[in-house]
Amino acid sequence: MARPADTIAALATPAGTSALAVVRVSGPDTARLAAAVGGATPLPRAVRRGRYRDRAGAAVDEVLFTFFAGPRSYTGEDALEISSHGSPFIAQRILADLFARGCRPAEPGEFTQRAFLNGRMDLSQAEAVMDVISARGDRALAAAQQLLAGALGRHLGPLTDALLAALARIEAYIDFPDEDLPPEDRGLVRAAIRALQADTQRLLATRRYGELLRDGVKTVIIGEPNVGKSSLLNRLVGHERALVSAEPGTTRDFIEERIIVGPHCLRLIDTAGLNAAPQALEQQGIAKTRERLAEADLRLLVLEAARPTLPRTLAWPDDFSPANTLVVLNKADLAPAAKPPPALADFPFVAVSALTGAGLPALTAAISDQADRLRPADEAEGIFINARHADALSRAAAGLADAQRQLEDGGPVELLASDLRGALAAFGEIAGRIDNERMLDRLFAEFCIGK
Amino acid sequence: MDFNRTPFDVIVCGAGHAGAEAALAAARMGASTLLLTGNIDTIAQMSCNPAIGGQAKGQMVREIDALGGEMAINTDVTGIQFRLLNESKGPAVQSPRAQCDKKAYQFRLKHTLELQPHLQIFQATVTGLIFSGGAVIGCETNLDLKVYGRTVIVTTGTFLRGLMHIGQNKNEGGRLGDFSSKTLSASFLDIGIELNRLKTGTPPRLLGRSLDFSKMREQKGDASPTLFAFHDTRDSEDLFHVEHTGEQRLGWAPGTRQISCWMTHTTDQTAAIVRSNLSKSAMYSGEISGVGPRYCPSIEDKFVRFADKPRHLLFLEPEGLSTNEYYVNGLSTSLPFDVQVDMVHSVPGLENCVLLRPAYAVEYDFAPPTQLYPSLESKKAENLFFAGQINGTSGYEEAAAQGLLAGVNAVQKGRGEPPLIIARHEAYMGVLVDDLVTKGTTEPYRMFTSRAEHRLLFNHASAEIRLRDHAARHGLISRSRLMRVDDKIQRINHWLAHLESHRDHGVLLGDQVRRGGEPPAFPEAFLKESIEVRQQVLYRVNYKGYIDREERQIERLGHIEKVRIPTGLDFMAVRGLRRESALKLAAFRPYTLGQASRISGINPTDISLLQILIEAGRGGAAADEGAGPN
Ligand SMILES: Nc1nc2c(ncn2[C@@H]2O[C@H](COP(=O)(O)OP(=O)(O)OP(=O)(O)O)[C@@H](O)[C@H]2O)c(=O)[nH]1
Ligand SMILES: [Mg+2]
Repeated sequence: MARPADTIAALATPAGTSALAVVRVSGPDTARLAAAVGGATPLPRAVRRGRYRDRAGAAVDEVLFTFFAGPRSYTGEDALEISSHGSPFIAQRILADLFARGCRPAEPGEFTQRAFLNGRMDLSQAEAVMDVISARGDRALAAAQQLLAGALGRHLGPLTDALLAALARIEAYIDFPDEDLPPEDRGLVRAAIRALQADTQRLLATRRYGELLRDGVKTVIIGEPNVGKSSLLNRLVGHERALVSAEPGTTRDFIEERIIVGPHCLRLIDTAGLNAAPQALEQQGIAKTRERLAEADLRLLVLEAARPTLPRTLAWPDDFSPANTLVVLNKADLAPAAKPPPALADFPFVAVSALTGAGLPALTAAISDQADRLRPADEAEGIFINARHADALSRAAAGLADAQRQLEDGGPVELLASDLRGALAAFGEIAGRIDNERMLDRLFAEFCIGK
Repeated sequence: MDFNRTPFDVIVCGAGHAGAEAALAAARMGASTLLLTGNIDTIAQMSCNPAIGGQAKGQMVREIDALGGEMAINTDVTGIQFRLLNESKGPAVQSPRAQCDKKAYQFRLKHTLELQPHLQIFQATVTGLIFSGGAVIGCETNLDLKVYGRTVIVTTGTFLRGLMHIGQNKNEGGRLGDFSSKTLSASFLDIGIELNRLKTGTPPRLLGRSLDFSKMREQKGDASPTLFAFHDTRDSEDLFHVEHTGEQRLGWAPGTRQISCWMTHTTDQTAAIVRSNLSKSAMYSGEISGVGPRYCPSIEDKFVRFADKPRHLLFLEPEGLSTNEYYVNGLSTSLPFDVQVDMVHSVPGLENCVLLRPAYAVEYDFAPPTQLYPSLESKKAENLFFAGQINGTSGYEEAAAQGLLAGVNAVQKGRGEPPLIIARHEAYMGVLVDDLVTKGTTEPYRMFTSRAEHRLLFNHASAEIRLRDHAARHGLISRSRLMRVDDKIQRINHWLAHLESHRDHGVLLGDQVRRGGEPPAFPEAFLKESIEVRQQVLYRVNYKGYIDREERQIERLGHIEKVRIPTGLDFMAVRGLRRESALKLAAFRPYTLGQASRISGINPTDISLLQILIEAGRGGAAADEGAGPN
């Protein structure tokens, strides 16, 4: 049944930049390879200095070998790390040699995938690592690392305890009706549920920002034809990505590029100009632009500095607000002291010239500020949940809301308990199964049971 | 003695609540059965309080009845006080409870065993088991008589190296006045069965005429008692398999002879007496190593652990109609006898009372039940089954439930047929066995409704419906009864469909029920249905949203419950499975993926890996009929 896995290799350090290059190898053939390239059978977890010899027997470089015997390795398989001096050329020669010896280049994230499959990390850790791998921007990396450190699990600890305590208060009266218990206090349960609802909502609210961090801030550039939207995109991206011409209506389709601005990753989307008197075909285009706008986290509304008027085809004010829109007065080289129109007086704005590059640092700073504002005010220690967490937490929130309703309506207590148990199970999907014993522990600690 | 019939199909060692049900179930299935007991006069003795049922347990007694067991009917016809607990709460958590006449209960059950065809009872103490090739083949007894059986069920309760404590005083025995079985433990250890110690306690018994009931609060039974048996106890058709003997057994029309219990409480003086004598308590002086139950603390524990609670409630429960003995529920202790006397006298109404029997704590061996398959057969020795307190449970109902299942499964094993395994979503009995064999226990295990994740489906009145298929498949209830159950199910389904599809003034009848208030305009024919049918229908309509949700959950998670793990599976060779998990699974030998998923430390990834392997390798082996743990 066990399909023999192949042995994979890849550069573990970013290409070209560091002083040290680490090549990582993992798989069943690792021990043999290590002996072949290093000239000696490796001892687990001992760092050994030696020469890397390629298949022709030539010494490639003086390197450090570290061998990890499975399952006590990152991937759970036999693994080898080869640290060479920083030259990208040397690392490339080592990799090429390893591939020639039968290793396969590792896919992105494949080491982590193996670690997960071999039980070296649990699901949420693996997810977080995958986030790190695909993380763009410093802040996304920090969020992913937080999750990896089990921050979410730790954060859910007290919530789970509070929920167990509330449940124990109810279960005691169901399971021990003949006992001499203190009068039932539903007020305590109500307060606990309310607090739990707030905590759950707070965590749920981090989802959007979490997604922004992982997927990038969706930033849509809009404006009338020929105001310089594509020129602006090219400026921000740093190369000629979009076609630019003096003719209005140059851009017909959406163009998307990823850029890093400050600590954020942006998905920059250039759109077709919003024509004042659109033709039938253009009207379809405008409808599509509207759709993009609705999904956008941030809008760059480009106006021409010389005549800064609102695009007439936009159903103003639509859902534009100073929180989600940055006004860009382009072609400032032609009209240096321009101001946005009175309707946009409250909106943040920058004057730039896509042609000369003037005002660009101010623009990126303003974009970064806007992106910062998307961060939830009341965040939970840098935790940003992912879709799977959000799914479980929404079910927990639904359970708590149902429980709240049962309390208000004075519904049957076993239904109230059922709702709370639903919420508890949902927490358990994230932080690990919660055994009923824990509820019983609370119950017997709290109430003197046993007539 | 007709021991020439050996080997018996089934030998049951011990005739407590587990042993009695085991023997009856086996014999009723037609297997030649031998029931060995150290003392025929203490068959089905209520060693602790003379009551059956209560929260979760009451539901379980009705489940036992649904599977043709004897406990329910025996309780109904010897009951002397009936109460429905949680009457103010919803149907799912209402539980019947009854005080019984202790002696009548025993005598009727003994008589039932005596009259049971295929069953032979014999008084002998089992001193050891006989093994051959890793399987049990019989028992040795104190009479130097050996008996042989295809299967053996051990239901020895607290008798394995039982040691009773009253202060510093120690007596060997599983129950006051009874013996302790010492050699049997050795027999288990010899074949590799691990044993551990547990502890439980019981309060003193008092003489009724020395009590002043005027200082206590009376607790009466319900005017119209909720019974345990589903069938009419006067209908001889239902008295399964014994009905035609024509002998008159002890018992009375249920609810006709109710008497009261009485409530009083401890005082400051009681607390002071207990506190100043703590060092003399067997439990607090370190005499006892076993772990006691959290839900049934001794009076010492109550005053120590809940020091701010000034008084504790006590119930005086009559032990029967033909005795003046009373049981003091809530006053379990291992304090020395002279302290017990002072303590009892400090309670209002008990100032001048006479003690008939002292309170004591008892320590005993149990065999951690994770050593069992879900059929209750030992993983360590083939054909050997365990049921009752020896598995670490407490309670007559828990014992009886296991006994019945072990009885059925021993017969099935002998016949080479698959075992009766009840799923967690079907009944408390399923939760009980799964908890025991999967999680084990560190204190005497008692059933609580909260242990059942699907308790909303477990209302006591639905037991017969829930367990219908199991009862039918193993022939555990008579044909006529099965037909009545089917008729009931059909009526319930008919009315459920009707109420969810018919309208009155434009409003769905079901919605009218759920909305509450005015009773809906039910059709005449519905109102003519039996109360049982109407209650089930209204319950299912009322809780529809919740019941549907439970059923969806069962559907969603149900799949892995059906995937049987092949007996010879080499966990160490499962690609990607963590070594710790593989070792744990190899040692545990779970029956299904569902059971594996509940073993502590096994994570969802482990289960996914196993599932992929099993389903790819075996074309999806399902655990329904075919596979038994062997
Ligand atoms: N002077 C000056 N000209 C600019 C500036 N930015 C863009 N242009 C010119 O304006 C014209 C239109 O530029 P584009 O970037 O194609 O404009 P657009 O908004 O993408 O136009 P459509 O795609 O047609 O809607 C080109 O001739 C650019 O060279 C600027 O900052 N200053
Ligand atoms: Mg353009």
